Amino acid sequence: MKHRFSKYVALSVALAAALAPVYWMFTISLKSEIDHFASPPPWFNFTPTLEHYYEAFVTRSFGQYLITSAVVAVISTLCALVLGTFAAYSLARFRLPYNLDSRLSMWILSTRMFPAIVTAVPLFLMMRDLRLLNTKAALIIVYTAFNLPFVVWMMRGFFDEVPRDLEEAALVDGDSRMGALFRVVLPLVAPGLAATAVFCLIVSWNEFLFALVLTQTDASMTLPVGIAGRVTQYEIKWGVMSAAGAVAIVPILVFAMAMQKYLVRGLSMGAVKG
Amino acid sequence: MSIKFENVTKTFGDTRVVDDLSLEIDDGEFVVLLGPSGCGKTTTLRMLAGLETVTTGDIYIGDERINDVPTQHRDLAMVFQSYALYPHMTIAENIAYPLRVRKLDKNERAKRVNDVAAMLEIESLLDRKPRQLSGGERQRVALARAIVREPRAYLMDEPLSNLDARLRVQMRGELKRLQHQLGTTTIYVTHDQAEAMTLASRVAVMKRGKLQQFDTPLNIYNHPANRFVAEFVGSPSMNFIDGRIDGGVFMSELIRIPVTKENTNQITIGIRPEHIRVLNEPQNGAIAATVYVTELMGNETFVFLTVGNNRLIARAPAEFRADVESPVWLRIVADKAHFFDTRTGLSI
Repeated sequence: MKHRFSKYVALSVALAAALAPVYWMFTISLKSEIDHFASPPPWFNFTPTLEHYYEAFVTRSFGQYLITSAVVAVISTLCALVLGTFAAYSLARFRLPYNLDSRLSMWILSTRMFPAIVTAVPLFLMMRDLRLLNTKAALIIVYTAFNLPFVVWMMRGFFDEVPRDLEEAALVDGDSRMGALFRVVLPLVAPGLAATAVFCLIVSWNEFLFALVLTQTDASMTLPVGIAGRVTQYEIKWGVMSAAGAVAIVPILVFAMAMQKYLVRGLSMGAVKG
Repeated sequence: MSIKFENVTKTFGDTRVVDDLSLEIDDGEFVVLLGPSGCGKTTTLRMLAGLETVTTGDIYIGDERINDVPTQHRDLAMVFQSYALYPHMTIAENIAYPLRVRKLDKNERAKRVNDVAAMLEIESLLDRKPRQLSGGERQRVALARAIVREPRAYLMDEPLSNLDARLRVQMRGELKRLQHQLGTTTIYVTHDQAEAMTLASRVAVMKRGKLQQFDTPLNIYNHPANRFVAEFVGSPSMNFIDGRIDGGVFMSELIRIPVTKENTNQITIGIRPEHIRVLNEPQNGAIAATVYVTELMGNETFVFLTVGNNRLIARAPAEFRADVESPVWLRIVADKAHFFDTRTGLSI
């Protein structure tokens, strides 16, 4: 009994710690400006207002940022998944000469070992020369590149779990390599694919650094950059930022909940053999 | 279809897994590749399936050299040791898979699946998933997937080894019956000599990548080409005694057996357990031995014996009784004995 009690206490503390900032942001987005700075802050008893939402999405261009974020996140996730899955499959299944398969894997992973900021300037210069500054394409390319190593390593692990016998059986049954991949292997790693997709999407959706460096215009700016842009030398628009932040959480939350059943299965795939 | 291996060698790095294998399998034959683990039998099968490349040599199906033909175009069917059923498909979808990839029309597919399911008595399982099936049922499904179309040959890689003993014997019989019914060339890999003896029209015994003997089960048993084959086939194993022949008598410390062979200083005699009679009373010319242990099998008794430094196994009737360490006497059926060159192991 005591044991269970302490479990609930621990869970409550963890939950409170995780949700407190979200609650804070959500209430600020609904409070009038005068309540933002009240001391002590009104935790529950304030008059809710939607003025910040109106300002963010009607007066200002946060609607545009939202669309840009969605387009960039979805397309870059799809690109990374397609390229990464094929790469991971080859690395998991084919032995290359000179031990290249394991070397290539390490090499791919190594691109994630240095801080992202190191590549900011070179990427800026490359995108400038390609005339891709302030375009969604620039962000899609960069996010795809940065998600690729993650996809390759995740998917490679999932492919390793699939017994080779199954593909060999498919080949003997008369299927092509591609057919075996699509009809036999991919359905089996689908939960892993879904889990990987969720992570890619979250990373792309929340990415700030490259979006800040590569996009400056309203038409190309993503939500995180747009939100941060409301901190200026003259004022800090807490209400607008919180309203936009509250809206920014929703799509990922919905997607992650839709994928929840796959997430759990995907992340624990090695544990239970089918 | 007939199948031919011509001087086939397979190396992994520096290891010769299959060494200069030549084998001609006639159309409709049931050939068993038999040998201990690591003898190259599975690699041989996988080369035929196209799942491993051939290092040197040629493999033919009919008159077609298939070395460079990709697996999916070889038109073979294979039953894997693990069964390799597709876990996300129902049993019906599993069986229909080879037909689906050949773009067979849906109704025809369903009809063929039902026919095969009826033949193997698995109709009631068609809507289930593989994980809901027992080992024996999965085995049948794997078999059904292989026979749902008419391939040029069936390849089977230890298909019965994951079943319990009783089921194994039952499936063994059904396999033999099925192959007889279908008449399709079958190549079957196993390390179980009983499976080889019961199923095969011819057995190819392999050891460390080399073919030892390729013959009918009866000839393999009665005329083993060398000591390895003699020892591997038959259960319990053949007894071997090193000795010499002098004046028509095989001699080894305490053992004397009259034989019709020329004199030689070094020879190994091989005697199957059923050719040693164990007697409780001394008899003229019988060899004195001591009982090491006896194992009652129900229908017979295995008697483990010591004669000097030699350990022998004999088959005795079920009624035979003898205490451990008690003295017994042996009569050896000399004209059933095999002789091997002690050094090379070759049959003489």
